[in-house]
Amino acid sequence: MIGGLFIYNHKGEVLISRVYRDDIGRNAVDAFRVNVIHARQQVRSPVTNIARTSFFHVKRSNIWLAAVTKQNVNAAMVFEFLYKMCDVMTAYFGKISEENIKNNFVLIYELLDEILDFGYPQNSETGALKTFITQQGIKSQSKEEQSQITSQVTGQIGWRREGIKYRRQVLSAHVSGRVVMKSYLSGMPECKFGMNDKIVIDKQGKGGTTDDTGKSGKQSIAIDDCTFHQCVRLSKFDSERSISFIPPDGEYELMRYRTTKDIILPFRVIPLVREVGRTKLEVKVVIKSNFKPSLLAQKIEVRIPTPLNTSGVQVICMKGKAKYKASENAIVWKIKRMAGMKESQISAEIELLPTNDKKKWARPPISMNFEVPFAPSGLKVRYLKVFEPKLNYSDHDVIKWVRYIGRSGIYETRC
Amino acid sequence: MPYFGSEETVKELKRALSNPNVQADRLRYRDYISKVIRYMTQGLDVSALFMEMVKASATVDIVQKKLVYLYMCTYASVKPELALLAINTLRKDCADPNPMVRGLALRNMCNLRMPGLTEYLEQPLVAGLRDKASYVRRVAVLGCAKMHSLQPSTEIDSSIVNELYALLRDPDPVVVVNCLRALEEILKDEGGVVINKPIAHHLLNRMKDLDSWSQSEVLTFLLRYIPRSDEELFDVLSLLDAFLQSPHAHVAMATLCLFLHYASSHTAVQNDALQRSTAPLLASCGTTSRELRFAGLCHIRQVMRSQPSLFASHYKRFFCSYSEPGYIKLHKMEILVELVNDENVALVLEELRSYCTDVSPELAQAAITAIGRIARTYTEKCLEILTGLLSLKQDHITSAVIQAFKDLVWFCPQSTASVCNAIESCTDRPQDSEGKRALLWLLGEHSEGISSAPYVLEELCADELKTEWSPGVKLELLTAAVKMFLSRPAETQDTLGRLLHHCIEEESDMCVRDRALFYYRLLQRGIQETKRVLSGPKSDPSLSMLTGRQEEPVIRWVSDFNTLAPLMNKHDSMLKESERLLATQPMGVFSALAPLMDNGTSSPLQTERQRRASEPVVTTTENEPPPGDTDTTLSSHGKEDEEEAFCLSASPPLSHEEFEKLWVELQTLHTQNLLAPCAQTAPETLQAILQMVHIQTLAFTPAHTLPWRAFLYTRSAATIILTEILQEEDTVQVSVKQYPENKLALRGFLSTLQSAFQTLNAENTCENVALSF
Repeated sequence: MIGGLFIYNHKGEVLISRVYRDDIGRNAVDAFRVNVIHARQQVRSPVTNIARTSFFHVKRSNIWLAAVTKQNVNAAMVFEFLYKMCDVMTAYFGKISEENIKNNFVLIYELLDEILDFGYPQNSETGALKTFITQQGIKSQSKEEQSQITSQVTGQIGWRREGIKYRRQVLSAHVSGRVVMKSYLSGMPECKFGMNDKIVIDKQGKGGTTDDTGKSGKQSIAIDDCTFHQCVRLSKFDSERSISFIPPDGEYELMRYRTTKDIILPFRVIPLVREVGRTKLEVKVVIKSNFKPSLLAQKIEVRIPTPLNTSGVQVICMKGKAKYKASENAIVWKIKRMAGMKESQISAEIELLPTNDKKKWARPPISMNFEVPFAPSGLKVRYLKVFEPKLNYSDHDVIKWVRYIGRSGIYETRC
Repeated sequence: MPYFGSEETVKELKRALSNPNVQADRLRYRDYISKVIRYMTQGLDVSALFMEMVKASATVDIVQKKLVYLYMCTYASVKPELALLAINTLRKDCADPNPMVRGLALRNMCNLRMPGLTEYLEQPLVAGLRDKASYVRRVAVLGCAKMHSLQPSTEIDSSIVNELYALLRDPDPVVVVNCLRALEEILKDEGGVVINKPIAHHLLNRMKDLDSWSQSEVLTFLLRYIPRSDEELFDVLSLLDAFLQSPHAHVAMATLCLFLHYASSHTAVQNDALQRSTAPLLASCGTTSRELRFAGLCHIRQVMRSQPSLFASHYKRFFCSYSEPGYIKLHKMEILVELVNDENVALVLEELRSYCTDVSPELAQAAITAIGRIARTYTEKCLEILTGLLSLKQDHITSAVIQAFKDLVWFCPQSTASVCNAIESCTDRPQDSEGKRALLWLLGEHSEGISSAPYVLEELCADELKTEWSPGVKLELLTAAVKMFLSRPAETQDTLGRLLHHCIEEESDMCVRDRALFYYRLLQRGIQETKRVLSGPKSDPSLSMLTGRQEEPVIRWVSDFNTLAPLMNKHDSMLKESERLLATQPMGVFSALAPLMDNGTSSPLQTERQRRASEPVVTTTENEPPPGDTDTTLSSHGKEDEEEAFCLSASPPLSHEEFEKLWVELQTLHTQNLLAPCAQTAPETLQAILQMVHIQTLAFTPAHTLPWRAFLYTRSAATIILTEILQEEDTVQVSVKQYPENKLALRGFLSTLQSAFQTLNAENTCENVALSF
C-alpha cells in the first residue's frame, strides 16, 4: 500500500502532496527533494530508500511523481499504478506539465481522494471515475494537440493500430503494436475478432486441404506475445485462440502485441560519415523506402546528430527541407510525403571548432520518424463479427471501418 | 519551507474567509479555500485558520466540502478540540440521501487523526457497512481499519471482524478486496486475515471480476492458503492459468509467485510455470516505461538465479538501447553475462564491446568488467577485445581493463601469459587508485612474465614520491616492490630501498609506515624467511566455483519475489565487494605469516586464505574428520597447528526447525559483548561477509529495527555452534551455544566472528583490513 503521493516540479517545489497513512510525515516530502531531485549525480534507480522509507518515482517531462511507502510492497504494481495515475490525469487535462498541474490543482486532489483510500487503490478507470469527480479538467492545448483532436473528430477511425517500435534495424527489430477500437453499439453485444495470427490459421488449416494451408501460411504472422483488454475472455483465447468479448463503450485498446519475425522495415537508412581532418566532418545519408509504390509514407523526419563543437553546417538535399538546429545538436531533415520504392539523399558538411577535449564524440544513432499506411508487422484484421441477440440488429447493420497506421517508435541506425 | 511574511498571508486569508461578502459569493469563497490548500501543500502552517475552515464545511458545494475535509484531515491532530466541532456536520452528512456525500463524509471522518474520535465513529461505520450503495460500503470497510489504527492497543471488536468476514461475499469486488485489506490490518497481531478453504475458493471464483490491483493483492493473500490435496491444487492452478499471461506485469508475476509457492513439491509444474511466464516477463522489459522495465529486469534476474538458461535464446532483448538510463543498462549487462553460451558469445561480446566506449565512464567500466567475467569461460576472445581496448588510451578504460585482467589472472591461470604481454605493451598508466592497485598487484605477482616490470615500478614509485597517493595504493606499491625484489633483485633493489626509506621516514599514514617497517624487519631476517612469508598462491581457479553460476533452488528467492526486495537487491553487489576485497589484498603475505604472529586473533580473510592454501578444493564436507577422534588428535597438536585444525564450514545446512530445537535444548556457553554495532550496515552485507568465513546466517530481523537480532550457525570439525546476536541501542551481545562442547573451536569461532565485524566496520574507513588487529 502507498503511504503518500507527492508531485514536484523540476526545481523540487511540491505541487501536490497527499498523505494516506500516519507513518508518512511531512519530512518525507523534503527527504525526497533533497536526496533525489537535488542530488548531484544521475538518478541511480527509480526506487530510493531513505531512512526506512521507499520512494518510487516516475518522471514525466520535468514533473516528478513520487509514491512513498514504508512497507515491502509490490514494486511493479506501484509503478504501474503511478503510470495509471498519469494516464488518468492525461485523460482529464492533457499533457502533464507544471502549468496544467497548477491549473487543475483541485481536480487532482479530488482524483487522489477517489483513486486511493488508506493507501489502497480503489477505482482507477477514467470512465467510472467521472461519476465521482465534479471538476472539469482545464487543458492548455498546443497547436499540435488541437490538430490531433480535429483529426480524431473528423477522421472516422474504426480500427487503427499505431506505435510501432523498431530498435536497431540490423541487429534486432520488433513491432509493438496495438489494436485500438472505437465502438458505439447498443445493448450488450458480443463481438468476435479475427486476425492473421499464425497459430489460429494453422489450427484452421488442419481441417482444410493442404493447398489452403500453403496459401494462408504466407500471409499469417507469428505473434510473440500479446495482451488483451480486461473484457476479452482469456480462457477462450487459450483454448480456441478466438478473441471474443463484450466491448466497453467508446475508445479503448483491445490488444497489444509484439512481433519480431518477418517485419517489413519500411525504410532503410544508409549513413556515411567521413572525418576530414580535425575540423571537418562530411555526412551523407541515403534513405530508401521499401514498400509498394502505390502507398505514401508521411511525416518523415530524419534526425542526424552532430558533434557538440559544431560551428557551422551546410546542407544539400534533393527532397524535403533540412535545417541544422544548434539547440538540439542535430540536422533535422523533413519530407512531407514519400512513395514506396524511392530513394532520397542528403549530404552535409559540418565544420567543427578545434577543441582540446580528448573525449570522443559519442556518435548517437540517427533516428527517424514516419507514418506509413500499412502495418509493418503484417497484421491483418480478418473479421469482426457482432452478435446482439436481444436487440434488433444483426452483424450486417453494423458499420465497420479498419485503418492501418504504422508509426515509428524508436527507429535508429548506428553510424 | 517557511516563507517570509507567512503570518501576514495567514491573517489576510483569515480576514477574507470570515468576510460575509466573500462567503456569499460561492466562487470567491471556494477560491480562497483552494488558496489555503495551496499554501498547505507548500508546507506553510495554516492551522490557525481551522475555525474558519470548519465553518466553510457546512455547505452544499461538494467541491468545497472535499477541500475543507482535506484541510481538516491534515490539521485535526494539531487542533483536536476544534475538530470536534466538525464532527457534527460530518455525522449529518453520513445520513445524506446522496451516497457520494455519505461516502465522502464517512471517509474523511475516519481520516481525522485524533484519539477521542472512536465513540463518534462507531455508529456511522456500522451503518456504513450495511449501506445499500457499494461506494459507501467500500469506504466503511476501510474505515474499520482506520479506526483500528487510531487505537491499535484497544481490544479488537469481534462483531466488526465477523461483519467484515461476512462482507467477503459482497457483490462488489472492491468491497471484497477492501475487506481483506482491512482484516489484514486489524488482525495483524494474530497473523492477519485467515484464508480457509471456502474463502480461498470464493476468492478464486471472483478473480475475474477484480481490477488488476485487487487481483495482484488477492493472489498475495492466497499464498497463505495451502491446498489440501493434489487434486485441489491442480484445480486451483488451472483456474489461475490464464493470469500467468496477464497484461499487467504485476499480476503475471504475482501468479507466477503463487504457482511456484503452491507447486513447491512439483518441480515439473514449477518449471512449466517459469517457462510460460517468460513471455510476460520479457514483455515487461520491453515496455515504454523505464521504471517497469527496471522492475521487470530485476525480476528476471531473480528467476535466473535458479534457471540461468531460461532466457538464453532471448539474449537480444537485453541489448541496451542508446537512450536508456544507466540503471537499466547496468542490469542488462549483468543479465547478458549470465546468458552467454557457445552460440551467442560472439554477438554478445561484440555488443558489450560497443558499450565499452560509452560516454559515461561508469557504464564503460561496467561493460569492461562484464567482458572480464565472460573471459573466465571464453578466455581467448575476451582477451583479444580487452587488449584492443588498451589502445584507446582513455584513462577510465585502461583502468577498468587492468582491473579485469587482475581478476582474470586470479581465476584463470592459463591466461597469465597473454595478460603479461598486454601489460608489457601498454604504455598508459591508470590514474585512479583502483586501477593503480590492480596494475601494481599484477606487476608484483607476475614480475617474471613482464620483462619491463621493474622499470614500470620504478616509474610508478617516482610518481608516488612526487604526488601523494592514497594509502591503499602505497600499501600495494610496497608489497609489489618487495615481491619483485624477491624475483628480480638486481633491478629492483634501488627502487625498493628508496621506497622503504621514504615510507619509514616521511610517511604520515600509520598503516603504510607499519607495513614498511614490517617489510624492512622481515628482510633483515633473510631472503629465505621473506620468501616463505610472501609466497602465496598466484591464482585460485577454485574460487570461480564459489562465485560462478550456481543454480539455486526456487525456494531461496520465491519468498520475496514480486515485492520490493528484488529491486533493492544489494546482495550481489555486496558479494562482489567482498570478492574484490579478497582478490586485491596481497593476502599471500598473511597466510604464511600467521604462525609467526601471536595466536590471539585472526582475521577472517586470513583463516579463509589459510584454509584455501592448505586445502586445494573448497568442498568442506569432505575434509571433515570423522566425529569422535577430533578431540584426541587436537590435544596432541602443538600450538602452531591449532590454526590448521580449526576450520569452519556451514554445510551440511541446518534447517530452521533443527536450529530451533537445538537452541531450545542447549545451554548458553558463552556470552560476550562486541564493540562493533552491526545494524548500521545492511544485514545482507553481514550475511555475505559471514558466508565468506563459512558462518551461515539463518535469520535476522530487518535492518534498522531495534533490538536487532540475528541467528547464525556454523560447524567446526564435529561440533556445531549456534549463535544469537542481539543489538540494543549501542551494545551488541553475542550468545553462543555449542554441541558437543569444544573449547578450541569455540575460541576460534569467536575470534573469527569478531574480526568479521571488524572487517565490516573497517571496510569503509581503513582500506587495509588485515592490519587492523
